[in-house]
Formats: sequence, C-alpha cells, structure tokens
Amino acid sequence: MSEPSLVLQATGLHKSYRSGDRQIEVLAGVDLTVGPGESVAIRGESGAGKSTLLNLLAGLDTADAGRLEWNGVGVTPSSATGLRNRFLGMVFQSFYLIPELTARDNVLMPRRIGGRIDAAARQRAEQLLSNVGLSDRGHHLPTQLSGGERQRVALARALMNQPPLLLADEPTGNLDERTGDSVIELLLGLCADTRTSLILVTHNPAHAAKTQRVLTLHAGKLHHG
Amino acid sequence: MPWYFYLALKQLFPSGRRFPFFTAISVLGVALGVGLLVVVTSVMGGFGYEIRRMIVETEGEVQIKSRALIADADRLVEQIERVPGVDAATPYASGVVMIVHEGRPAYPAMRGLDLTTVGRVVNLSHYIRLGSMDDLDDDSVVLSSELAQSLGVTVGGRIEVYSPLMIEKLRSDEIFLAREVRVVGILEIGHQQLDSSMLYCTVRLAQDLYGLGSSVHGINVRAKSGVGEDELAARLNASGLPRGVQAFSWMDSFEEFLWVLNLEKGMIFFLLLFIVIVAAFSVMSSLLISVVRKTREIGLLGALGARARGVAACFCVQGVLIGFFGTAAGLILGFVALALRNDIVLTIARFTQREEALRRFYQFSNLPAHTAPGDIILIIGLTLVISLFAGLIPAWRAARLKPVEAFRNE
Repeated sequence: MSEPSLVLQATGLHKSYRSGDRQIEVLAGVDLTVGPGESVAIRGESGAGKSTLLNLLAGLDTADAGRLEWNGVGVTPSSATGLRNRFLGMVFQSFYLIPELTARDNVLMPRRIGGRIDAAARQRAEQLLSNVGLSDRGHHLPTQLSGGERQRVALARALMNQPPLLLADEPTGNLDERTGDSVIELLLGLCADTRTSLILVTHNPAHAAKTQRVLTLHAGKLHHG
Repeated sequence: MPWYFYLALKQLFPSGRRFPFFTAISVLGVALGVGLLVVVTSVMGGFGYEIRRMIVETEGEVQIKSRALIADADRLVEQIERVPGVDAATPYASGVVMIVHEGRPAYPAMRGLDLTTVGRVVNLSHYIRLGSMDDLDDDSVVLSSELAQSLGVTVGGRIEVYSPLMIEKLRSDEIFLAREVRVVGILEIGHQQLDSSMLYCTVRLAQDLYGLGSSVHGINVRAKSGVGEDELAARLNASGLPRGVQAFSWMDSFEEFLWVLNLEKGMIFFLLLFIVIVAAFSVMSSLLISVVRKTREIGLLGALGARARGVAACFCVQGVLIGFFGTAAGLILGFVALALRNDIVLTIARFTQREEALRRFYQFSNLPAHTAPGDIILIIGLTLVISLFAGLIPAWRAARLKPVEAFRNE
C-alpha cells in the first residue's frame, strides 16, 4: 500500500468559547497540512489556542466549523475515538502516566486498549524503553522516576502503536532546560527514525527551530515563522 | 484480559503496594455485611433445622393422629406401610403422667412405644446417655436427662407413676395403686424442653396407665429417602385412612412456629442487608472520589483511544471486584464465626453469668446453625448486584467526562 500524501489535513477550523455574554473566537479558520515524517512546530502566546488546536487535531474536541482528515479520511470526534488508538500518539506537558502502573505497563497501555498484549508487544515495549534510555527502569512506578524519565516513558507510550502522527503539547514545560533539551532531541530523533509525523506545540524557540516547519498561532490563525 | 478489567485490578491492587488502604477498607465493609448475613441466616436456619432433626428423629416425618382412639392399630400400620413412600410405621400412646421419686414429683409427657416396630421409625438409642433402650419392658421407663436430674434418679432407680385414670377410679371408689417402675435409661436429645420433660415406656404400660385397652393415640411414620414429608402426608390422606384419622407432616404440626421462625429470619436478613447497602454506598462514594481524583487519567484513556463504555466498565468492574472480594472475605469470616459460635456464645454467657438462662431460653444445648445453599447463593447474588450498582454511578460519571474537559480541568 502506498504512503498517503498527507498524514493530516485541517481545513478552516473554527472554535469559539462563550465567556459570560462574550463569544471568544479562539480559532478563526486554521488550515494545516502535515506530510509523512514531517515535523511541525506550533508556537504562540499563552491563551493563543495552541492546546485547543491540538485537541481538535486529535479529534478530542469538536470544531464549530472546518474539516479534519487523517490519512485522507474525514474524521469527527465520534469516529476519531475508534481511529485514535492506531493513528496518533500524544505527549503532554504533565506526562499523564497512570500512577498504579509500572513504566513498562504504561508503555503497553495503548496496545492493551487497542487489543491484546502478546510477546511481540512486550518486545516492542522493551525496545521503546531501551530507545528512551530506560531499559532498566521498566518495573519502576512513575513516582519512582524523575520528571525527565516520566516524559521519556510517555514518549515511549505515544510510539507504542507505531502511529503515523505524534502530537506533543509543550512536552518540556515541566522540565528543566537541560532535561527538556534531551527530551526534544529524543522526540525528534525517534520520530525521524520511525518516519512518524510530529506536531510539537512549544514556547521554546530553540526547540521549535529543530523541526522542519515552524508555525505561529496568532489571532486565531496559523502563520509561517 | 480486557484493558478495563486489567486497569480496574491495578487501581484496586496497585503494583508495588502491599496494603492498598482504599481497597482494604471497601472490601472490609462489604465483608462485615456478608459475614453477618451468613452467621445470622445460618443460626436462624439452624433453629428450624434442629427442630426438624429432633422431631423427625424422635417421631418420624409424618404423624397419623386421630380425634378418637385408634382401636385396630396393627391393621392401620399394615395399611399405612403399603402406601408408596412409607418406609415404616409404629403406633404410640401418649399423655401426661405424674412421677414421684423420694417425695419429689414431676409431670412429664409420657410416650408409649411399640418396641417391635419403633426401631424402624425412630432412633432413640442414638440419644441414650446412660443404660439402654434394649432393657425397656413393661415395668421400666427411660427418662430424659434433665427430668432424671431434677428427680435425683439414675439408671437402676425406681419411681412411682400416677396417671389421670386414677382420678376416674377414685370417683368410683376404686383404689388404683401407683405403678412402680425401674429407670433403665437416661436419654438426652439436645432440646431443653424435651430433655426436661419426657418419659418413654412401652405402649402396653402407657395403655395400662391410661386404660386404653389395645388402642393407641397415633402412628409415627418414617418416609423413604427422597420422599418429601408434605408429599407423603398428602399421599397418606388420599390412601383411605379411617374416618377421623389424618396424616400431618412435621411441618404441619409446627406450622405456626416455623412461620414465625421464617418471618424472623426474613426480617433479620432484610435488616442486615442494609449493612451491605451502606457498605455499597461507601464504595460508591470512594469510587466517585476516585473519578474526580483520576480526572486526568480518564482524559488520558480517551486520548489513547479508549471508548467511553470502556472507561465506564473500568469503574463498574472496580465496584464488582470490591463486591466479589468482600463477599469472599465475608463468607470466610462468616463460616469461621459459625465454627466458633458456641465458644463465642458460651464465653459471653459465662462472662454475663447467663449460661443457664441461655439454655432455657433457646432450648438447645448448643447454638444451632444450618447454612442453606439457597441462602448463600442469595447473599452472594444480592451483594454482587448491590456492588454493581455501587459502581454504576461513578462509571456513568467517568463515561460522561470528555478527555478535552478532563485536560482543561487539569
């Protein structure tokens, strides 16, 4: 099967929220395309709507208007639920590891939700833990890991189902600069190695500069640079 | 294993934690309710069961009674034994007598037994504590244990027996001397009322004392194995018994008492079920707190592609698992308490110096217990259903939580 020309295509996404009597338009017609293996950074001020955009792209929220396609297939929040497990991985600022599970079980969780855990899945989880430099920490609980280690576990988890697209929402926001740098290096390296497309939301211009394309969300629209 | 079941297990029993406090408290609440239900239903069931055992072992499953005396008992016994389901039958004569030993009187119920057939219907020898039923003849009696104790007589002693017939004789200026008999056995059934007031003799002695001639008062019937007592009583009544003669199952004879016993059992079951319901409310409350506490994890599950029904199932399963482990622990707790019930009750009775009152009030020398499988199935079923309901509301809350809202709240 040939690779689709676009992994993600968003056209004219609108989103507004009601705040008291006012209607606040957060996204005013966002267009975005991401090709296979491409990395895109989205920057913007706090409150510019970066997380809102990411939630729409992940099919977690409903746009007021606009169209979203994953691998050329139109998706809505209801149809996205079934596809999300295989199509995209997500990395969050606060890691969001399940505290009752070990690092290994956290990595395996997307596969568990998508189906059964077999030997191949366990082997892949070990490989991913090894890739993020945590092969000897698989049996540790999140509380026994540092912030950087937790984010690396979250990264391994996001890649578990070999998704074509990875969405990262300020993944270094809770980390110190040095740890943040290493996590970004790892994130970009792994995505490049596996030809996983990446949308990285970040405040950090240095991190954004490491991606292939930098966009800025301003006044509800995406701008180059 | 489905992911929601796996995650439910992990949330109840997290990796690396030896004592999950929330789980332990929730399970303990359910276990206490289930344990109490098991103990109380078993003890209440035990009273009914002991009464059945006692009656069946001393009188057979079915009693044939007559408004008047039964004159031709042998022919009627033969007729009864031909009815399908009847194992054996034995005639008896009964009444109240006065007995005296060394100036001490007592007024026990007398039961005259046909020694040739009684062994096929009831097994009184099983309850003999001193002497032997084999030594019983027309000049001897067997006394219940507490009666013998109150009179101060033992095996080999002699007692005088007076019957109401003597009053009749005195009216017609006849002298009817008391019958002096030997005590050849002391019998203990385990029921305070019977052990304090029963005298067993031959049917001929009873007939002499009451002036019955060859008549008897009734016939005890033993059912064949697997034949129900009500069914057999109905069959006997349909078999053409003489006029005025009727068959009663032991349950008919104690119908009101058994009804009261069942009512008490039902009421106590209903009241104690509230302990399980209260425990379920505490489980529900804990799970609701858990839903709020785990908002971001619920959002994460959605982000990982979990469907709302899977998230709901995760919390529902937690409720059911708490119910399951609580039920298992409660059953163990209940059965251990049942095994130790006599020690527990006697300790309390000794401590409060009410041992004698306990025996007198409850009729049994030991606290009876009989666990009916139906009761246990009912307890398990109800507890699991209540636990399931306890998990449903938190599950519904969790399922309604949209990932994006979960992240936003976070």
